[in-house]
Amino acid sequence: MIAHVDVNSAYASFERVFNPALETVPLVVLSNNDGMVVAASREAKALGLDLGKPWFELRPTAARSGVVAVSSNYELYGDMSRRVMEVLERFTHDLDVYSIDEAFLTVDRRTSADPEAMTRLGHDIKDALRRLLGVPVCVGIAQTRTLAKLSNRAAKKIDDLNGVCVWPAIDPGWREKLMRALPVSEVWGIASRLERRLGGHGVLTVWDLATVDPAHIRALFNVVVMRTALELRGIACIGPEEDHTGKKQQIIVSRSFSEKVTTTATMRQALSIYAQQAATRLVKHSQVAHTLTTFAGTSHWAQDKHHPTITVRLPFPTADPVQLTRAAHRLLPQIVEGARYARAGLLLTDLTPAGAQLPFEIFRSPHEDAGIATLIDRVQKKTGKNSLGLGYGGFRPGPSWQMKRTMLTPRATTHWAELTTVRA
Amino acid sequence: MLALSPRPASTATISPTSTNALRVAPVSVAAGFPSPAQDYYDGAIDLTEMLVHDHAATFIVRAAGDSMTEAGISDGDELLVDRSKTPRHGDVVVAVLDGELTVKRLELGPHGVVLRAENAHHPDITVPELSDLQVWGVVTYCIHHLRGRR
Repeated sequence: MIAHVDVNSAYASFERVFNPALETVPLVVLSNNDGMVVAASREAKALGLDLGKPWFELRPTAARSGVVAVSSNYELYGDMSRRVMEVLERFTHDLDVYSIDEAFLTVDRRTSADPEAMTRLGHDIKDALRRLLGVPVCVGIAQTRTLAKLSNRAAKKIDDLNGVCVWPAIDPGWREKLMRALPVSEVWGIASRLERRLGGHGVLTVWDLATVDPAHIRALFNVVVMRTALELRGIACIGPEEDHTGKKQQIIVSRSFSEKVTTTATMRQALSIYAQQAATRLVKHSQVAHTLTTFAGTSHWAQDKHHPTITVRLPFPTADPVQLTRAAHRLLPQIVEGARYARAGLLLTDLTPAGAQLPFEIFRSPHEDAGIATLIDRVQKKTGKNSLGLGYGGFRPGPSWQMKRTMLTPRATTHWAELTTVRA
Repeated sequence: MLALSPRPASTATISPTSTNALRVAPVSVAAGFPSPAQDYYDGAIDLTEMLVHDHAATFIVRAAGDSMTEAGISDGDELLVDRSKTPRHGDVVVAVLDGELTVKRLELGPHGVVLRAENAHHPDITVPELSDLQVWGVVTYCIHHLRGRR
């Protein structure tokens, strides 16, 4: 069985941990340059503040309804995400981090055989994250990833489930009712364009897709849609590392190692591979990243626990594997020889569409080989960011990639100067 | 000053768990003899290892105000808050009060819950029901600055 854990309105929830006053307030989190709404709390969604809407359009009405808006605090979200995953690792031997706020956990065989045990596991996970981190999550447990995600949707939508939905533990009649009620777009990987095409063939609800002849689906669409249909029947055909959804706000590449990594050399290799994979995903979605968080961790059961992490603000948004690899390697000085690392990963945030920065990258690359980038970096470190730069952009960064975060909350877990204040 | 540990810190086993840790080099013993411990040196004492028991659930916050000076917490001190610890009577806790994070000593008495200030000039706060109180986490250590700040 697979458990899917997903943080409720993740960015908003992470903000609320450090500012309880925001607990009941409709809260929206804005994208780069405070342009768009990238996350909204339940209260904000209820007011019709949807994701992807430009903030300047919403601002006048939002202010009147008491909405609080904050800039994306990538440092905070990255660190809280790492903590969430660290807690989840205590519940499985195989954690597949799918994004900044969701992960798939392999449920052990004994628990998988017992619906009651699975329900307990779901609540244990949910309670642990609430207690240890103050983060609310929902849990879906089912035979396949697609069904686990669907169960999670149910857990989020239906209050009676208390945030945990174990698919096999639910009455089949009720399951059918639910699947008939949900549009096919609620299924993982079915985007709106595909939904329209499916609709043209009479596949409107989740139930339709689950009961249609898979061979027929394959003939009409492709093998990916067929696999999704099979997954809805409880036949697992989508494995880890498969990314069959569209554009993202963040990309994460992280897996538990099959064998513990104990040397810096091996870690360097693993991080290099992850960086290449991350770059490939960026290119696939025509995106570039501006922030890279790299992390590694020993097992929760290890005697000497060690969880190094580093967040690197890339000099400019990039999908260049060389750049990303180099940035990922900045974790290496923290790696302790002989420690037994069970996992490592890369988290790319602050993603923007590729293209705008292209001329600049070409301009920069030849100089990199000559070591000029390193030299500039050293001079800038000594004498300040604006003392020396490369070409146009190096000196005075353009507005598109110098992020404006005017409503930034404190980076409470990564910066000493910005710790949360408690009244004494 | 490292104060307010709910239980004595465990014996420091010398092991490398964090490169950020405070490094204390092994000091050689009497001159003329090689240190008998030298062969067993396998890394330096690690402050994080002593202070942080649950990496995921431990947060660092900063105290503002003087209501807890008698407990050894001064304005500007850093506090380690371990959310994995179950709050008990007598613990110093961070609690949520009117949407604000507050550090006080938790006292569970027959007349309800009291958040006690450790300074005569500050009033205690009485909470009628334990269920009305949201404890954010238990303060395990205070990093008290003895030599002023940079």
